[in-house]
Amino acid sequence: MPRPRPRHRLRAGRRDWSTLPRLRGGRSRCAAALAVGAFLASGCAAPTSDFSDETLGSWASIRAEARGQTVSLWMWGGDPQGNAYVDDVLAPAARQAGVSLRRVPIADTKEALNRVLAERQAGRSDGAVDLVWVNGDNFATGLQTGAWRCGWSSALPNMRFTDPADPLLTEDFGTKVDGCESPWHKAQFTLVYDSAKITEPPTTMAAVLEWAEANPGRFTYPAPPDFTGSVFVRQLLYSVSGGHHNVPADFDQDAFDTLTPVLWERLRALAPSLWRGGKTHPRDSVALDKLFAEGQVDMTMTYGPATLTELVPQGTFPPTTRVLTLEEGTVGNASFLAIPSTSADHAGAMVVANLALAPRQQRIKADPRVWGQFTVLDETRLPPRQRSAFADLPHSPVVPPYADLARNANPELSSEWVPALDEGWRRNVLAQVQ
Amino acid sequence: MTPRTHTWSWRGTVAVAPAVLAVLFVICAGLGGTLLQSVGLMPLVGAPRLSFAGYLHAGDELLTATGLSLLIASASTLVAALVGLTSALVLVGSRSGKVLSGLVTASIPVPHLVGAASVGLLLADTGLVARWLGVPAQAWPSLVAGRWPTAVIFEYAWKESAFVALVVSVTLAMRLPDYHETAAVLGAGPWARLRHVSLPLAAPSLLAASAVAFVYTLGSYEVAWLLGAVYPEPLPVMSYRLFTSTDLTARPEAMAVAVTTAALSGAAALAALALLRRLAAWR
Repeated sequence: MPRPRPRHRLRAGRRDWSTLPRLRGGRSRCAAALAVGAFLASGCAAPTSDFSDETLGSWASIRAEARGQTVSLWMWGGDPQGNAYVDDVLAPAARQAGVSLRRVPIADTKEALNRVLAERQAGRSDGAVDLVWVNGDNFATGLQTGAWRCGWSSALPNMRFTDPADPLLTEDFGTKVDGCESPWHKAQFTLVYDSAKITEPPTTMAAVLEWAEANPGRFTYPAPPDFTGSVFVRQLLYSVSGGHHNVPADFDQDAFDTLTPVLWERLRALAPSLWRGGKTHPRDSVALDKLFAEGQVDMTMTYGPATLTELVPQGTFPPTTRVLTLEEGTVGNASFLAIPSTSADHAGAMVVANLALAPRQQRIKADPRVWGQFTVLDETRLPPRQRSAFADLPHSPVVPPYADLARNANPELSSEWVPALDEGWRRNVLAQVQ
Repeated sequence: MTPRTHTWSWRGTVAVAPAVLAVLFVICAGLGGTLLQSVGLMPLVGAPRLSFAGYLHAGDELLTATGLSLLIASASTLVAALVGLTSALVLVGSRSGKVLSGLVTASIPVPHLVGAASVGLLLADTGLVARWLGVPAQAWPSLVAGRWPTAVIFEYAWKESAFVALVVSVTLAMRLPDYHETAAVLGAGPWARLRHVSLPLAAPSLLAASAVAFVYTLGSYEVAWLLGAVYPEPLPVMSYRLFTSTDLTARPEAMAVAVTTAALSGAAALAALALLRRLAAWR
């Protein structure tokens, strides 16, 4: 089945990227232009989405092709537990299937995407990236530029253990997954507090801000475009708009112009009560966690509550660390593994993605002592033995089970919202409170 | 005798050709590609079309970033030049020069990233200095990630002063002792020797080293990223943030910021060269 043409993301008030008939030889013309220095005369066309889906062979032939391949998995390297899981559990399992899995730690998923985009501009088909841990706007942007291989994930044998109707798995921040990435784990945006400092924790987002104003200097959030800071702003947008039902999931400039002034106004009003008077923010969630660990603030937040279990006994976070569940629920999402269209070892990458979905791997990964990432599998579809293994997983003393965290879960906004809100925050909040 | 320097030789041309070609390739392909992307002629998506929207949209933030970058580069270069020159003069004049020069130049092999991390550990509000002095985090001035780029300037000044000291002291060491002796024989006191011998001799290398430090600081990313505030941000940090934005229309903006940085660096280098030619000791 042919893949629908990638949607080009348009933003009102910005330039319109009109679609272009494919320019054959665009890259060689570009190279020649660069070499003679006559750049301004020509201009170089972007590589259009020239990756067409080939028909996938049988799973047996893919497995055979994968033998001996080396798969480079580019993933955010800021979580030691995640790194250890991939190195000590997933990689040995891949080796048994004849695939060597190499983990490439990166500071931000955008680095992997940028690498793939640069490889596409250079016309390479033996790229350095074979598999990326991705979701949301990075996935959507990559799809728009043809950076991802498509039509493969629905063919993975282990997809039969997932619920085909699960909205978290069929759409990634409003972008149809369409076989272009395979699910890895689920996550829930979570606020975290120190119960020794906050005896009566707030139970709604609005109350969290009131608490912050009553306790100046004890609260802050990472500066968007940091992933966590960005989701905090989206969560607050839901709150000031009277619930997620009032914010259209698909980006709409009118809705943006109507809804966001209230949000910016609320955040500007909050700013003087923030850590350092809101004039500066922690650069990322790691920096915020550090402030929380040092006792400079009483709350932190994360889109991956799994890591909390390990941080408390380690002594990084105080033993009185607790998760704050909100009455209105919080934003939830799933994260995925995607294969770049520039990857030469895509058969190996598919084998690894399939392995990552295997019930055994998902169960080990869900163990809070290993990584504690919530499974994407539908437990009712598992064989009885695997189902009971999931039921026997130890509970984290800090993080409530997924069912509790995900109660009243709010859907994510479509990925077009994300950069618009990030940029809006910079201009309307950060620049204004200086 | 005719001067030999102006005779053209094809063998000479051939000999330098690989180096010139490599430099031309890097400058033309790198800067040219950046320039093309900044004016919309090499888009990631869609048709190439000449447009200055990248520059216009970056607008006021580009101005703020330029101001901050120039502030960081000028302040750290000034401090580095003063400290470096003083160290070089002390070095050349002292008897235990080797030990001293070892101490002064010890920081040169330290990477900027390590230097920045160390400065952060020292000067942050929960850093070592604040703890040693027993100052609570709230009362400590925001040297790291604060309103003013204090820690950023401190780090660059510290690293670059060693570089300036090394370059200046090497120049001085070759010529200064003889000149000093001559001047002393002619009756010049220490102050006159400093003013009329040491400083003019040091000036060209001081200027050249400062220019290198200035241009480096202007284009460097990691120190300002680690130690600076999220707002305002200097040019390289702004450029990289826009470059890694998932909004593809931000790419021309990122390149516009990069072109601005390159233009400023080029202008600074040209100004330094022009100034250098006018210095007496250079001729």
